[in-house]
Amino acid sequence: MTNSVFYRIGLPVLVGVVLVATWQLMSNFGMINEIMIPSPAAIVVGFSELVTRGYFWDSTWVTLQETLYGFAIGVTLGLIIGALTGTFQTFRTAFYPFVIAFQNTPRVALAPIFLTWFGFGITSKVVMAAVICFFPVVINTVAGMASVDDNAKMLFRTMGASKSQTFFRLTLPGASAIAFAGVKTALTLALLGAIVAEFVGGSVGLGVLIKELNFQLEVAKAFSVVLFLAVIGLVLYGLIELLERYLITWKQD
Amino acid sequence: MSTFSIASTTGETIRLAGVSKTYETASGPLPVLRDINLQVEAGEFISFVGPSGCGKSTLLKIIAGLVSYDTGTVEVGDQKPKAGREDIGFMLQQSVLMPWLDVSKNVELPFVIARRQDVSTSRRVEELLDLVGLSSVASLNPWELSGGMQQRVALARALALDPGIMLMDEPFSALDEFKREYLNIEVAQMADQLGKTTLLVTHSIGEAVLMSDRIIALGANPGRTVGDIAVDLERPRRADMIGTDQYQQICNEVRAALASDLAGEML
Repeated sequence: MTNSVFYRIGLPVLVGVVLVATWQLMSNFGMINEIMIPSPAAIVVGFSELVTRGYFWDSTWVTLQETLYGFAIGVTLGLIIGALTGTFQTFRTAFYPFVIAFQNTPRVALAPIFLTWFGFGITSKVVMAAVICFFPVVINTVAGMASVDDNAKMLFRTMGASKSQTFFRLTLPGASAIAFAGVKTALTLALLGAIVAEFVGGSVGLGVLIKELNFQLEVAKAFSVVLFLAVIGLVLYGLIELLERYLITWKQD
Repeated sequence: MSTFSIASTTGETIRLAGVSKTYETASGPLPVLRDINLQVEAGEFISFVGPSGCGKSTLLKIIAGLVSYDTGTVEVGDQKPKAGREDIGFMLQQSVLMPWLDVSKNVELPFVIARRQDVSTSRRVEELLDLVGLSSVASLNPWELSGGMQQRVALARALALDPGIMLMDEPFSALDEFKREYLNIEVAQMADQLGKTTLLVTHSIGEAVLMSDRIIALGANPGRTVGDIAVDLERPRRADMIGTDQYQQICNEVRAALASDLAGEML
């Protein structure tokens, strides 16, 4: 039963359909204020209008660029710093307390500062996305490296493995499953960072578009952009999951 | 498993004289081995049995060069112990297979680490997998194998560089009784035919008797020799020897050696 297609796919689809239908009916019967919460039908109409506008696709492209550049920079730096922290005790002692301290500060608060430093263009958004997705990658990489089996390390010693052989043939692949979980979290956070930075100050992007539509009381369209962002997030997450399956084939172990 | 026809380096001698070891712990010094003297002949199969904390695994790690010793002398094939020697194969309680490598790549790993890969490596890996009866699963992933099969892969990997000495630290303890007994016989026969000097650490007296030429019983706190019992069961060893009087008698001898030490500790 729990393995059937209906249970795994049909059940959540059914729940979604019931929720949307209930929402639509409540709107039709005036039980929900449409100005505050537009009906599903109004959101679909609003979205169909938006997709015909060039600025919608320009905004989408800019937000995607900010997210992916920020993700690439944050993940690259996170993996490097994480690997250094996990490998060198002195590096860990010197820098890791700052990583932990910074991890626990609300990093979105940096968005106005980045705006001052890097201006209203794409750079401030990329930096925000990179900073926000850097930490889970560092922390998961360190945790992944710490999780490598002591017996495996001993076995490598018995085989006379050099430090670099142990790192590339044991520590790196051994840490990759946990490190990749951080990379997956980072992708979602990168989108969040880009949107927050656009809210704080920007001229183009889906975050800017949501803000402007809200000011114009085009709430249905604003809702549709939020849902579109959810779809973008899901697609990106699906792609990173595919990459994980390709790279970490042994995860089912 | 097939008959053991692959080329084999013969065993090497091991000598320990007055070896002691104390670990420094947070609660003070912890002596684990005291005055261990042992002469292992080339090709001999020796088992160490004793209660937890008697230093069996530490002794094996000293011989492998993984742990230093405080006093005494150790000679492994006329050299001092050193980690990473190609003439020593090591097997642990867990198979410790790399899940990102398939079975044949796991067996090939010692060649890669030793930078000794050449045109003959893949043939050697095939021979080793044939030796442990796993030729048909060479391309499978480790997690697709049973616990017993995983330990066979670990055995093939330990034999990869054709070492003269095999060190085995409770390699069968995670297996069920049936698989354990089966592998005991297979490994004993293999050690016979390949002529390796083999040291086995085990908690099982029966396993030690079934496989070894000699059993060193170790007392605990600190670990020291309390018995050196010859096993004169005929070779090759067979499963039906387990029920014989001779087998039981040797088991009782080992048990008595260990019990005398435990009794002393209880008093």
